[in-house]
Amino acid sequence: MIDFHTHPVQVADLFDDDPTLTRAVQEVFGLWMSPQPLRTYELHIEEAGADKAVAVPLDCTTAHGMTVVSNEQIARLMELTDKAIGFASVDPRDPEAPQKLQHAVAEYGLKGLKLDPALQQFDVADADTAFPVYQAAQELGIPLLIDCGLSWAPKGRAALARPLALEPAIHAFPELQIVISHFAWPWVDEAVALAVKHRNVHLETSILYSGTPPESLKHTLDRVGLDLLDRSLHAQVVFGSDYPRVDPKRVADGVRRLGLRPALERKVFNDNAARLLRLEVAVA
Amino acid sequence: MRSQVIRFGVQTTADTQVIDITERVREMVRESGAQNGQALVMTLHTTTAITVNEGLPDLEDDIVEMLQELAPAERNYRHARFLHSDGQMAVNAPSHLRGALLGFQCLFPIADGELVMGGRQTIYFVELDGPLYREAIVQVMAA
Repeated sequence: MIDFHTHPVQVADLFDDDPTLTRAVQEVFGLWMSPQPLRTYELHIEEAGADKAVAVPLDCTTAHGMTVVSNEQIARLMELTDKAIGFASVDPRDPEAPQKLQHAVAEYGLKGLKLDPALQQFDVADADTAFPVYQAAQELGIPLLIDCGLSWAPKGRAALARPLALEPAIHAFPELQIVISHFAWPWVDEAVALAVKHRNVHLETSILYSGTPPESLKHTLDRVGLDLLDRSLHAQVVFGSDYPRVDPKRVADGVRRLGLRPALERKVFNDNAARLLRLEVAVA
Repeated sequence: MRSQVIRFGVQTTADTQVIDITERVREMVRESGAQNGQALVMTLHTTTAITVNEGLPDLEDDIVEMLQELAPAERNYRHARFLHSDGQMAVNAPSHLRGALLGFQCLFPIADGELVMGGRQTIYFVELDGPLYREAIVQVMAA
């Protein structure tokens, strides 16, 4: 089982060598919780029933002058724990972003790309800035995890994160595997419409706005229709928690309480993510 | 009256855990050098608890089951929303309520350098929203 969306912004080991990280986590990401030992991060993954978790950085250099965990710190995290599947992040407004992505994958062995248009403040349909990054990810054969919908980050601008704005990129890069986080709440219909039409578009389960994760997942996905997930999107939904915005155990509990067919639940919790990450042997 | 506050950490490993800290507390009291006074044991978190009971695994399980029945996971709690001051979803009302039921501290006398405890009494640190690294204190007050 794989958690496809965690931010290691509470892992104390990463703060030890970087006095600026506290400011980035608080002022840009918007988290005011104390750091925890690496072991707590590992235990959160285990408590959810997961074996591994995608750990993401965020390069907000142009928008905010800092990174909320760097690619190098993700590489260090991967050295410290075998639970973490590290992704890279680059700043699309940096002309050297494609080369930096290639470097992060080649040098650090990072397995995917994380972008957050609301927080990085870029236009996802901009052919001059965003498209070269998508092109690089497609050529590298790595998936893109992109934040869509409500951004809890204080400086996040949700208007930049509407899923339909991704359509030109989906057309231009049909081989790029795109994972839209949060089911893009509140624009769930837009995200579902894209996923129903495009088999390279995937949806991630951290639907966070109010109530408990079991409540918000049920409320949202009942409206989408669990039969639609089963029939048309069974290969395109992945479990993700958006830790530490919410604990992985609670999002996992919410997915389990949906009452999905066992085969679909297994795909959501494991198989779809394993395929996207090209894991040689799917974890249990 | 002199006061020493000794902080200590507990790495919990699951959502709910009942952890025997009796020997750790006894040792901290001994190391404090206090001969006669009182020791306050207090958790620094609102989703953990400190309680005293007989140190038996079946009772530990019964305590957990009682808490889960009294403050069930599923109920229409108000505390189920985004907490802007933390930057997290605050969806752990049952953990808070279970902590409130057990309480957050206990107090024991110290006599001749040792905690005065009943033979069956065990001091528990109770995790109610783990796994997390937690902190608690022992305040030793002695003449």
